[in-house]
Amino acid sequence: MAQIRPRPNLLGVRGWVYGGKYQLERYLYILHRVTGLGLVLFILFHLTATTVFRVQGQGVWEATMGVLSGNPWFKIGEYLVVVAFVYHALNGLRLFLQELGFTLGKPIPPIYPYRDSIRKKRPITIVFMVVIVILAIVVFYDFIAGGW
Amino acid sequence: MRNTYLQLVQLITGILIAVLLGIHMVTQHLDAVLGFFGIDIGHPTSWSSMIERSRQGIWAFIYIALLIFTLYHAFNGLRNIVLELTPSARAERVVTGIIIFVGVVFLILGIYAPLALLS
Repeated sequence: MAQIRPRPNLLGVRGWVYGGKYQLERYLYILHRVTGLGLVLFILFHLTATTVFRVQGQGVWEATMGVLSGNPWFKIGEYLVVVAFVYHALNGLRLFLQELGFTLGKPIPPIYPYRDSIRKKRPITIVFMVVIVILAIVVFYDFIAGGW
Repeated sequence: MRNTYLQLVQLITGILIAVLLGIHMVTQHLDAVLGFFGIDIGHPTSWSSMIERSRQGIWAFIYIALLIFTLYHAFNGLRNIVLELTPSARAERVVTGIIIFVGVVFLILGIYAPLALLS
C-alpha cells in the first residue's frame, strides 16, 4: 500500500527553531517544544531517583534528597521545571482548545488583504500567558518562603 | 492514519497529565503556599512523609497512572520532534525502537517501585 510521506524538511535542524514571519503563537510553539524537551530530560532523572534510589531504603533516599536540596543549582533547576510544567500545561490546554476548533474566532470571507489563522492576534493567548506568569510568581513565592 | 490516533492519544494524555501532575505538584511543591492557607502537609520529600504516601493504595494508583500517561506523552512528543527531520524509513524504525525500549525500561521501574513500597 502506498504510504503518504511528509514533505521533506528542507531546513533540517534549523526548521525546529525558525519562526519566520509568523507571530507570537509560532514562538510559543518553539517554547512549548523547549519546555517539553526539558521536562523529558527531567523525567528521566526524576524517575531514576524515585525508583532506583527510593526502593533502596531510608539511608539512600535521605542521602539523595540531601544532595538535591543542598545544592542551589538543583533548586534553580527545580523552579525551572515547575515553570516549564506550568507553561507546557497551560499552553498545551490552549493548543488543545484550538486544535478542536474552539477559541479560533469566526471564519471570515477571504477578502484581500487576507488574514490567515496563524498570524491572527487572539486575546485568549494573552490571557493564558498572564495566567502562566501569575502561577510562575506563586511558585516563586513558594520556593522563597519554603526555606531557600 | 496511525499518526492521527497517536496524536489523539497525545491530546487525551496531555489533559489527564495536567490534572494528575497538578495534584502531584501541589502536594509536592506548594507546601509553603498551602501553609499560608492553614493546610500543613509537612516536608513532602522527607522519608516519613514519602513512605506514608507510598503505603496508601490511592497514591500508588495515581503514581502508576501518571507514569503511564507521562511516559507516553513524553516519548511520543520526543519521537514527533525527532521525526520532523524526516529520516529514512529505516532510521525511523530505529528511533521508534530506541524510544519504545527506553520507555518500557522506565515503565517497569516505575511500576515496580510503588508496588514494592506499598506493603
